Amino acid sequence: MRDRIEDIALAGPGILLLALAFVLPLVEMLRLSIVGADGGVTAEHFVRFLSDPYYLGVVWRTIYLSLLITIICAAVGFPLAYVMARVSPQMRLWLIVLIILPLMTSVVVRTFGWMVVLGRGGLIPFSLWKLGFVGRNFTLMHTEAAIVIGMVQVLLPFTALSILGVVMKIDRRLEEAARTMGASFLATLRSVVLPLAMPGILAGSLLAFTLSVSSFVTPSLLGGVRLPVVASSIYDAATKTLEWNFAAAQSVILLIGVLLALTPYIRLSGRRHG
Amino acid sequence: MVRGVPRWLKALTWVFVALTLVFVLGPLIVVAGVSVSESQFIAFPPAGFSLRWFGAIFESNAYVGALVTSLQLALLVTVTATVIGAGAAITLHRRRLPGTGILAGLFLSPLILPSIIFAIGLLMLWSASVGPVSLPVLWIGHTVIALPYVIRTTLAVLADSDPFLEEAARTMGASRWQRIRHVVLPQCAPGLAAGAFFAFNISFDEAVVALFLRTPDLVTLPIQIYNQLEFSPDPTVAAVSTLMMGLTILLIAVIDRFLGIQRFVGT
Repeated sequence: MRDRIEDIALAGPGILLLALAFVLPLVEMLRLSIVGADGGVTAEHFVRFLSDPYYLGVVWRTIYLSLLITIICAAVGFPLAYVMARVSPQMRLWLIVLIILPLMTSVVVRTFGWMVVLGRGGLIPFSLWKLGFVGRNFTLMHTEAAIVIGMVQVLLPFTALSILGVVMKIDRRLEEAARTMGASFLATLRSVVLPLAMPGILAGSLLAFTLSVSSFVTPSLLGGVRLPVVASSIYDAATKTLEWNFAAAQSVILLIGVLLALTPYIRLSGRRHG
Repeated sequence: MVRGVPRWLKALTWVFVALTLVFVLGPLIVVAGVSVSESQFIAFPPAGFSLRWFGAIFESNAYVGALVTSLQLALLVTVTATVIGAGAAITLHRRRLPGTGILAGLFLSPLILPSIIFAIGLLMLWSASVGPVSLPVLWIGHTVIALPYVIRTTLAVLADSDPFLEEAARTMGASRWQRIRHVVLPQCAPGLAAGAFFAFNISFDEAVVALFLRTPDLVTLPIQIYNQLEFSPDPTVAAVSTLMMGLTILLIAVIDRFLGIQRFVGT
């Protein structure tokens, strides 16, 4: 019994903090999303969002860009994670450090780097122009391509490291057995490694997807005002037009989408840890 | 590598790895390059070499103010996240409370809930129940976000610790407080240290919560950079960004010393 009191006392400040500053804000957001101008309960904010072709366009852009970003991250992240798992520990350490460095750098700084690279006269447009692929010096800024490039760079380290965690646990003898029995390297990769890594790839992708649909800084700086995503629409409603109930309703819709993606993630990662 | 992999495939693999590294590190290198350029325009490759933009940071009241705010905030967050996280991690590690699994889920959930949703909820709740936004609300918000990292790093070292040490201390008559103070906390120390540096880095770099909670008097360094990027970026932005990257490199090296960088894998 006194053990229990000790444990509660140790975790108490944390529980209190999360209850007041994490759970309660979410409850407040839910409440505001269904409060009308007269103070009564209403679904008007949801109806407004879901019946306006403009906002549906924003949702659609957010979803398909996020799908594209997630697929690229998984497609590049898996081979990268596999290489990292199979090189020497020394080499792996270096690769991990080089991947973590951008991961731990502020997203504002990374996005700024892309603004320089993608803007007019930046490395990529300038090279394409000089090599004759395009007719003039142009800018890639404020395009969907810019959002995808920037977001993949933000989320790739994250996806690769979460896949690496799973690939590291794959028994190498399974691969050796397949090779001994005559399977080629690529066949082994496809029929042994890939199926075993699949839960990790899926979990990493689901997490990347939720981070992608809710990201704000990179899409708003690289995409500009003409390519709004759900997060920038929430930001505008909350800080520019000050329609808090409408912002809350949009956040609830985003939250529902995120939870839908997270449910299989929690199941996948739960199986991995348990 | 597995023996007998075709040579062309090996070559292709290393080309792939090299290109991927260029892609993820490229923007950072570009920013560092712009920061040492002599030109007053943002240009890469840099024209000439000059450190004047680093000097310009400290002549700008906006940057110095934001730097002071960010440092204050990050230090406060480091202290609270580490103290609160230590207690939470010890309790979670002992698994003596009923519902430990649910508690662990609660403590780690700020990690997977998108920060924009959390940020807007916090802004609305604070404005409705407390009043105008000020430093304390950002302090609380960043503590919530940083807490899971402290808990994870501490749980990682506790998992490798000897569970019988505390038992031994108990049989030798150590009180509850003495056991925590002299047995459990020293066992947690490397994880807490790594978590503390993580917390500092997260608060110092965080942009979304800080953006929703910004007021003219409450601008952190990432938000000052964001403001500049929205309007008129000049090489000073690159210099500030480069300083932030330098700090990140330093923090990674320190975290590696305390915990080993390999532990990042699988998170």
